[in-house]
Amino acid sequence: MYRYDEFDHAFVAARVSQFRDQVERRLSGEISEDAFKPLRLMNGVYLQLHAYMLRVAVPYGTLNARQMRKLAHIARTYDRGYGHFTTRQNIQYNWPKLSDMPAILEELAEVEMHAIQTSGNCIRNVTADHFAGAAADEVADPRPYAEILRQWSSVHPEFSFLPRKFKIAVTASERDRAAIQVHDIGLQLKKDEEGRLGFAVWIGGGQGRTPMLAKKINDFLPEADLLSYVTAIMRVYNLHGRRDNKYKARIKILVHETGVDELTREIEAEWAHLKDGELKLPDADIAAINAYFAPPELADRAEGWGEIAAWKKSDPGFADWVGRNVAPHRHPDYGMVTISLKPIGGIPGDASAEQMDAVARLAEEFGHDEIRVTHEQNLVLPHVALADLEPLYRALLAEGLATANAGLITDIIACPGLDYCALANARSIPVAQDISNRFGDPARQAEIGDLKIKISGCINACGHHHVGHIGILGVEKKGAELYQITLGGSGDENASIGEIIGRGFEPDRITDAIETVVDTYLENRTSIEETFLECYRRLGAAPFKAALYGGAAEAA
Amino acid sequence: MTVIWTKNGIVENDPWSGDDSADRPKLLDLSQFLEHARDNEVLGVRLAPSDDVRQLEPHLDRIAMIAVSFPAFSDGRGFSQATLLRQRLGYTGEMRAVGQVLIDQVPHMLRSGFDSFEVEHGPTIDRLRQNRIPGIDQHYQPAPLPADRQGGYSWRRAAVTG
Repeated sequence: MYRYDEFDHAFVAARVSQFRDQVERRLSGEISEDAFKPLRLMNGVYLQLHAYMLRVAVPYGTLNARQMRKLAHIARTYDRGYGHFTTRQNIQYNWPKLSDMPAILEELAEVEMHAIQTSGNCIRNVTADHFAGAAADEVADPRPYAEILRQWSSVHPEFSFLPRKFKIAVTASERDRAAIQVHDIGLQLKKDEEGRLGFAVWIGGGQGRTPMLAKKINDFLPEADLLSYVTAIMRVYNLHGRRDNKYKARIKILVHETGVDELTREIEAEWAHLKDGELKLPDADIAAINAYFAPPELADRAEGWGEIAAWKKSDPGFADWVGRNVAPHRHPDYGMVTISLKPIGGIPGDASAEQMDAVARLAEEFGHDEIRVTHEQNLVLPHVALADLEPLYRALLAEGLATANAGLITDIIACPGLDYCALANARSIPVAQDISNRFGDPARQAEIGDLKIKISGCINACGHHHVGHIGILGVEKKGAELYQITLGGSGDENASIGEIIGRGFEPDRITDAIETVVDTYLENRTSIEETFLECYRRLGAAPFKAALYGGAAEAA
Repeated sequence: MTVIWTKNGIVENDPWSGDDSADRPKLLDLSQFLEHARDNEVLGVRLAPSDDVRQLEPHLDRIAMIAVSFPAFSDGRGFSQATLLRQRLGYTGEMRAVGQVLIDQVPHMLRSGFDSFEVEHGPTIDRLRQNRIPGIDQHYQPAPLPADRQGGYSWRRAAVTG
């Protein structure tokens, strides 16, 4: 993985002291909360319902054990002993004191981490496929490009006061695990006919109150042109994106109102001036950043094949876990292990300091010192020998981290909701917990199969409900919480925005409604092979509406 | 109180500020300027955030000052306008940030090519007087303000010191 050099260390140290100065000026009253707000936001500090919240960047979701231990230490020392992994592959602390923030940032800097641009109207943490560098189906590791973008976008003088936040995601396989079509810029690393690397460039995807799928504006951008092209997009957006209404300020609205053809022309015209300028990436620089991401040396461990078969036979729990949470690695003797942060009835994405320490230890022991955070709020050990799966499973089990539900109905994404968030209209966490409890039986989950439930506590859609196979949106109606259901959303290479199915449900009825939807699927599917999403796409909303509303569905 | 600040300190008797009088050079908005651009007079232009700076291209030799407005510190269009003026159009004259100019934006403005600042905010004026500007010397991207290539990669720069 990437390691800081002297330049990076000096930069982050300067950034911490800059923020220390800003916090001191705020605490002394020299700057108003209004003027402080964009400054703290650009360092990941939010003011939430009960406390300040700090969001720490995990660039493209990659961590080593030492960094994970530091995250545990921060949870223990400055917070209440836990942290919350987010849909941007970051971690949030919900209870730190403003006066402790500079000290926390200093601690993070010790392990080459920071909170820069995890919030604010700037280019946010660049995300990537959580299986990058290990997946069998990728053309190359997408993370070096995410790292180049991370560096280039850090404290960018031109692009720090954009109309609105800006999110970039990079993937490197046809099977999109990074949800690039719901990002402001989505990049798919690919090869042309001569085998040269470049990107398909998508812009204008996003969720929020106006969900839109991205449009492809360039089918093959040579890798050397990455920064000049992204600069052209950013400049056109910065100059022309709407600033009169924050709900219409994302680039998706500019794409929609200008038209993708016209906007592409503007971007290309701007790029023509930049293309052969100082932003062109030299091959040597791309190679140097790539070298940091060289895969670990994976020795052949063919003995795992026989062992794993025997272990599965003797322990059905282990067999379930391997079946759900271990995906094939590029090396046939290895697997990519998802560590579920969705225990039945638990809070999606939360991990205690002890759990973080345990993951760090296990990553060192079995995982070549690599950990990933997924946008689905789980952790991944991307390089584990099949021969090590059994002891890893035992150790995870002891920490409450061996829930065998990756991709199943209880692997729920949920935003923090009204339990923490100042923007929320409704709670998300208790709904996730209740659904998780209802469907917690392993046999029942297995019977239902692949099903992604995503829950947002308000229209800003941090819980990605628009791309949930089943999405749940909490709204407030006449002072009470109400939950709308959307069906048929998906954030993968066949992305779609879910459709609102009808009027909303009260908190004590939403889990029943979800059960009705699931039962309708089970009754209508052609076989166990047909997933919920396939079934919904075949049948449309009608049978689900009929089951929920008795045929007379009204709009909420 | 409004002051004008440049790298050389507070500017006394700024020719662009003060009461309207016949012998003071004129600061025109873009449309007025384009009307008068054929006059043989050296003028100043005050750009609004939505103005297309490329319209100034044929007239740069008659412009003595370009004021770029920041109606709110959160409105960052002026950073792109400044970058285009310096890098695309090659404008080398005075470029002044006006409007809501706050100390924490000044480092970005300097890097974007501003060399003159009209400041109202008291704490910002104090910091500028003391020359305490909260910038970071390591940059991860080229910008209009000249900087040294440093840090190993083509996109990195370091502030020119001294």
